[in-house]
Amino acid sequence: MLWLHLHFPQLLLDHLRRSRQQDAALVIVDASGQKVLQACAQASSQGVQPGMRLKTALSLVADLAMVRTDPQQEARVLQDQARWLYRCVAHITLVPPDGLLAEIGSLQKLYGGLPAVWETIEQGLNERHLTAWLGIGHTPLAARLIARTGKGECSADQGHMQRLLDQLLLSAAEFDAQACTRLQRLGLNTLSDLFALPAAELARRLGPKILAHSQKIQGTRPDPQMPWQPPHRFRQQADFAEDIEHSQGLLFPLQRILIELEEDLCWRQQETDSLNVLLCYRYTEPTRLHIRTSGPEHRAEAFLNLIRLRFEQQPLQAPVVSLVLLVKRFIGREAASGQDLLGETPDMNEAWHTLISRLQARLGDGALQQLVPHADHRPEQAWASADVQRKQRKANAAENPLPCRPLWLMRKPQPLHTKPQAWFAGPERISGGWWDGQRVQRDYYIAQLPSGQLAWVFRDASQGWHIHGWFG
Amino acid sequence: MNELLSALKQSARVWQGHQPVHTSQPAESTGYQALDNQLGGLGWPRGALSECLLDTPGIGELHLLLPLMQRLTHSGKTVFWLNPPHIPYAPALVREGVDLDQVVVIHTQDSGDFLWTLENCLRSPVTGLVMAWPGKLALRDVRRLQLAAEAGSNVCVLFRERCHAAQNSPAALRLELQPDANQCLHVQILKRRGSWPGQHCELPLPHRAGLAAAETSRVAKGPWPRPAR
Repeated sequence: MLWLHLHFPQLLLDHLRRSRQQDAALVIVDASGQKVLQACAQASSQGVQPGMRLKTALSLVADLAMVRTDPQQEARVLQDQARWLYRCVAHITLVPPDGLLAEIGSLQKLYGGLPAVWETIEQGLNERHLTAWLGIGHTPLAARLIARTGKGECSADQGHMQRLLDQLLLSAAEFDAQACTRLQRLGLNTLSDLFALPAAELARRLGPKILAHSQKIQGTRPDPQMPWQPPHRFRQQADFAEDIEHSQGLLFPLQRILIELEEDLCWRQQETDSLNVLLCYRYTEPTRLHIRTSGPEHRAEAFLNLIRLRFEQQPLQAPVVSLVLLVKRFIGREAASGQDLLGETPDMNEAWHTLISRLQARLGDGALQQLVPHADHRPEQAWASADVQRKQRKANAAENPLPCRPLWLMRKPQPLHTKPQAWFAGPERISGGWWDGQRVQRDYYIAQLPSGQLAWVFRDASQGWHIHGWFG
Repeated sequence: MNELLSALKQSARVWQGHQPVHTSQPAESTGYQALDNQLGGLGWPRGALSECLLDTPGIGELHLLLPLMQRLTHSGKTVFWLNPPHIPYAPALVREGVDLDQVVVIHTQDSGDFLWTLENCLRSPVTGLVMAWPGKLALRDVRRLQLAAEAGSNVCVLFRERCHAAQNSPAALRLELQPDANQCLHVQILKRRGSWPGQHCELPLPHRAGLAAAETSRVAKGPWPRPAR
C-alpha cells in the first residue's frame, strides 16, 4: 500500500481568497485574536509572518483584513476538498484539521504510473488555487510526516523515504509534548535514533504509546484507516472577509459555487430542481431563499439567472457575512429529447421550463396555476388550481356529462340587481354538499341582462338571486 | 431602393390609402369566416399586438378566441391568461375542447410585474396565445408590449375598456366589441395595419350558452303551487 498525504498549510486562507474579488492582504488569526496563524502572499511580502503578534502585523500593514479561525469552518472546508479529490481517488480519509490521506497504490495501474497520479492531483490543486504539500509514504503516518516537512517527492522508493524519515526531528514527528521532552532528555533527536532502539526496551522504559507511534510510522503495527464517503447532498459555503452589502457582490462567489455544482452534477449524472440559498448576517437571523426550477436542470447559467431575478425582488436585509448553497434533491438525468442531431432547432421542452422557472422566480410560487376539472356538482368545487407542470400529452376525450357551463366563473356570486331582459334555459337544480358542510341548494338559469351580457344566475334556498358566471 | 420600398409595402409598414394591398403578414385565422373576411382573409396577426375593447364581460369575447385556443392547445402551444377578471372555468373549457394542460393562468401583483411577465411570455417560443387584462396602461407601455410582441411570433390580445377606443394605440389590430340582438357580437374594426378601418360584422354566438340560433325561451314556467306556510 502506498499513501499520499495532502497537507494544506493555509486551508482557511485559500478558502476565503476564492470568494474575494480584490486581492488585499489577508491573515487568519487564532481564536483569541492575538496571534497570526496564516498569512497570504500579499501580507507576507509586506513582512507579516505566521506566529507574529497581531499588533505587530497591523503596524506593518495598515489595511489588513483578518478572519478569526473557526474549527467548524475548517472541518467543513476540509470536507469540500475531499469532495473534489474523491473524483480522482477512491479511498480517502480526513485527517483534521488540515490534511487528507489518499491511498494511491491501487491507482497506479489506472492512471499509468505514480507520476500521472501525482500530476492529476496537482492539477486539481492548481485549478482550485490551493496551497498543498504532498507526501508519499508506505504508511499513513509516514506519508503525513513527510508531507508536513514540505519535502515530499513523487517517488515510491523505499530508501528515499527512509532517509527522509530518519532525518526528521522528533519534535516534528507528532509525539505529544510530554513524550517529546522525555525523548530529548534521553539524548534522542531524530527519528533514526528512536528506530535504532529495541522495541521491548522502548515499551518498558518509555511506555507502550510511544512504541505504538513509532511502529505505526515504520509500518510494523497496523494502522487501519476508515474510508470517507461523500455525502448525498451538495453543500458549499462562501465566507467573506469583508461583509457584502449589495446583492450584485454575491453573484461572483455564487457563480463559482454554481459552476462547481454543475461539475458535481455532471459527475453524478444527476440534475436538480430546487436550490436552497442561505444568506447569513452578522447579527440577525439568516435569510433562506428557495429557488425552484420548473424542471430538472444542471447548468450554472440557468441557476444564476433565476437567483439574479430573486435578488432583484428581494433586497438584502443586512450586510452578508457568508453564503451557503445547499442541494438535497437529486433527479436522474434524462437525455434531452426533441432536439435534432445538430441541436439546431430549439428544444421546446427546455424553452417551456426556462420560461416557467423565470416567471415563478419573479412572481412567486402561487402566481402561476393550471386549471383542473374536478368531479363535483357544485360549480365552485368543479374546478381546482394546480401547480404548473409539463405533462406528457395524452388524448383525454372524456365526455363531459355536465350541461352548458359559462367560461367565466365569478370568484364569489354577486347579487343580481337588475331584472333580466330575457330568460333562456333553466332551471337546473344543483343540490349537494351536505357531506362536507358546504351545502349548496340552487336553481340555475341562463338569462340575458339589459346590458347584453349572458349571465348564469341562480336562486338559492333563501330566494335571493345571484350572478355566478358570464358566458364570455 | 425599389427593393426596400416593395419590401416595406409587402410587410404593410407603409400605409397606402388609395390601394388596399394584399399583405403577407403572418396571421392566425379567427375561426369565424365573417370576421376573417373583414380582416382581409387573415385573422389575428402574429407577432403583433391586438386589442379588444369592451365594456363588460359575458358578451362573447372569449368565444371570439375559442377556435384559436382550441387549435393552439392541441398543437402543443401554451395559452397564457394574464390577470383574468374572473375565474376561467375549467369544466366549460374542457367542454369546448381546450387542452387544459396547455393553459396557464398567471396573476401578478403590480403593473411592473405585469409588463415583465407579458414581455417574457411574448418572447418565448412555447407561447401560442397570450390573453391579458391589463387594467390601466400608459401609451409607452403599449408601445413596449408591441415591440416585445414583434420579437416573438405569437398572438397577443389585450382586453381593455371601450373608453380607450378614442385614444391612439400602436396595436396592429383594434376591435371594438359590443353586444347585439339575438346574443350576437358586434365587431367594429377600429384599426387594421395596412388597410382602412371601419368594417364591421355580426357574429352570431348564441351557442355559447347552449342555445340554438333563433330559439325562444326554454325556461320552465309556473304556475307553481304556493308552498303551504
